[in-house]
Amino acid sequence: MAEVYQKDIQLDDYSKEDLVTFYREMVKIRKFDENLIRLMHEGKVSGFYHSGIGSEGLSVGSIVKNLRDEDYLYYNHRGCNQKIAKGVPLSKLYGDFLGTVEGTTRGLGAGIVHSADTSRGVLGQAGTIGSQFNIAVGSAYSAKLQNTNRVTVVYFGDGAASREPLHGSLNWAGLYNLPIIYICENNEYAISSRWDETHSVREHIADWAWGYGISNCVVDGNDVLLMNEVTKEAVDRAKRGEGPTFIEAKTFRHRGHFEGDTYDYVDQEELKDWKENRDPIKNFKNLLLENNICVENEFTRVDEEVDQEILEAIAKAESSPMPDEKRIYEGLFA
Amino acid sequence: MRKITMREAIIEGLHEEMERDDQKVLFGEDVGKFGGINAITRGLYERFGGERVFDTPIAESTIVGAALGMAITGLRPIPELQFGDFVGIAFDEVFNKLGKWRYMHGGTMEVPVTLRAPIGMAGGAGPEHSQSPQALFMHAPGVHIAIPSTPYDAKGLLKTAIRDNNAVLFFEHKLLYDTKGEVPEAEDEYLIPLGQADVKREGSDVTIIATALQVQTSLQAAEKLANEGIDVEVIDPRTLAPLDKETLLSSVQKTGRVLIVHEESKTGGSGAEIAAQISEEALFDLEAPVKRIGSPDVPIAQSLHLEPYYRPSEKQITDAVHELLEY
Repeated sequence: MAEVYQKDIQLDDYSKEDLVTFYREMVKIRKFDENLIRLMHEGKVSGFYHSGIGSEGLSVGSIVKNLRDEDYLYYNHRGCNQKIAKGVPLSKLYGDFLGTVEGTTRGLGAGIVHSADTSRGVLGQAGTIGSQFNIAVGSAYSAKLQNTNRVTVVYFGDGAASREPLHGSLNWAGLYNLPIIYICENNEYAISSRWDETHSVREHIADWAWGYGISNCVVDGNDVLLMNEVTKEAVDRAKRGEGPTFIEAKTFRHRGHFEGDTYDYVDQEELKDWKENRDPIKNFKNLLLENNICVENEFTRVDEEVDQEILEAIAKAESSPMPDEKRIYEGLFA
Repeated sequence: MRKITMREAIIEGLHEEMERDDQKVLFGEDVGKFGGINAITRGLYERFGGERVFDTPIAESTIVGAALGMAITGLRPIPELQFGDFVGIAFDEVFNKLGKWRYMHGGTMEVPVTLRAPIGMAGGAGPEHSQSPQALFMHAPGVHIAIPSTPYDAKGLLKTAIRDNNAVLFFEHKLLYDTKGEVPEAEDEYLIPLGQADVKREGSDVTIIATALQVQTSLQAAEKLANEGIDVEVIDPRTLAPLDKETLLSSVQKTGRVLIVHEESKTGGSGAEIAAQISEEALFDLEAPVKRIGSPDVPIAQSLHLEPYYRPSEKQITDAVHELLEY
């Protein structure tokens, strides 16, 4: 059975700079998201949006200090969290949502899926949720065969974990001992179905990995430092040639599955508890304050800098033109 | 020129391309030590080792999905589906991913995948091991579709497919594996571009457009018809995507009579699209309605006794040509 990952983390082991970076990146993701929702309400964004608010610590902790540009990443259905943590420019992400040529797709439009930035190892995402599992073992095989120490990290929700390709993928990963890390963002609900109504597991989704001989654990996904530590161990294991790891990170979404979702299928007391007591940003900020690592106005300054960065990114994305019709005929073949 | 079988031609093509650089990776069910159920990957495992030539679990969607993941990270994978029918298992990967991944992510990634798949009725293999699903993917932008009918074409097209930076679906008719044809010596390398039809036989009375095994059947029918003084042109498109419309239309212009023959079931087969394009662009060159022969629109029975009733025959072709000439 999957064990719950715990570690007595010493804040002294982290530089103040790194800790502030964690804070800054989490705030960047949240403010990116809040501003995107504002743009949606202004009628400027087409398509669906699946907000990642409430789970920023999971992506920031696993990615920011662990993955390099050359490491491969497949994001999940709340994937702006991971794309931002991996360094994809905000203006390009806004450009994809707004459909301007500033976007990574040069105007085709993208967002929840199909943004890509190969210069940062962000290789895209399947619109048929969960199909990235198969693609990810391919890039991991590629890294192994080419003798690079690139690591592939594939993110997915508890909902995607019920897709058949997960099992084909885990089988390959274990069989060929591939340098791949599976990070299951278990926020308990696919859309309205709770994860324990849709998964036959002993206790955790990560238990499945045990059957494939793959190292696995369950972790508090809202603890940014714990996410950093557990992912670091997995990345090191992959680089040493010791194969795959499956991490099930527990979290909860603050908003519905999509913007406009009534979100009335969750226990409102539970939601309130996650928002008030288990918010990854709020708790991390308090940790730094309580340990006298930062004072309040340092956070205020970071918040203001991020606000400014986001407004500039939106301005850049919005001022960029929409593509003309011929764009749809470009880029089909290499 | 030496004569070898299509099986030998494909094996040779695979060996040559695997030899060129070590980005090529070949994998699928039983393709390694065993050499493939059709013996098409013979000798590759021994020559190139178990990392570049490997047996996979029976998991078609993972085979094709992994090929995509390899392709966008610097490899040139050559996966095999054991039977073409199994595209159904990997449909998301073949239909939604191979041809679309590059486009939908902005057009920077390359997807040099050559997916080989044996097709066609052979030996009473039944409804799910005998089909010819290639037409489905004429409706999937972003993939090329190759479907050779001779050893020469198979080798030349395969080598081009493997070198192409886009996904190519490579369909091989099982009954053609043992057919022999002229192929240059290994040291005389040649490539056949995708999108170039081949006039297999020149003629002036009727144009037959055929693919795979039906090219051979059509050529036999053309011989018979020649004895009656009917001069048939037989064209093999060789790739359904891209489709060499120019060669087809210029033949139609010459003969004014068209018969399309394939083993795919008739409704929605590749002939439907080809007929539509001819009607759009060459209607007034036609002396007669376009005719199509495909297998019947029912699942393929397993009985070897019934199989010939599905496969288009020489007689069906000669009858259809006679009908066309009545106009």
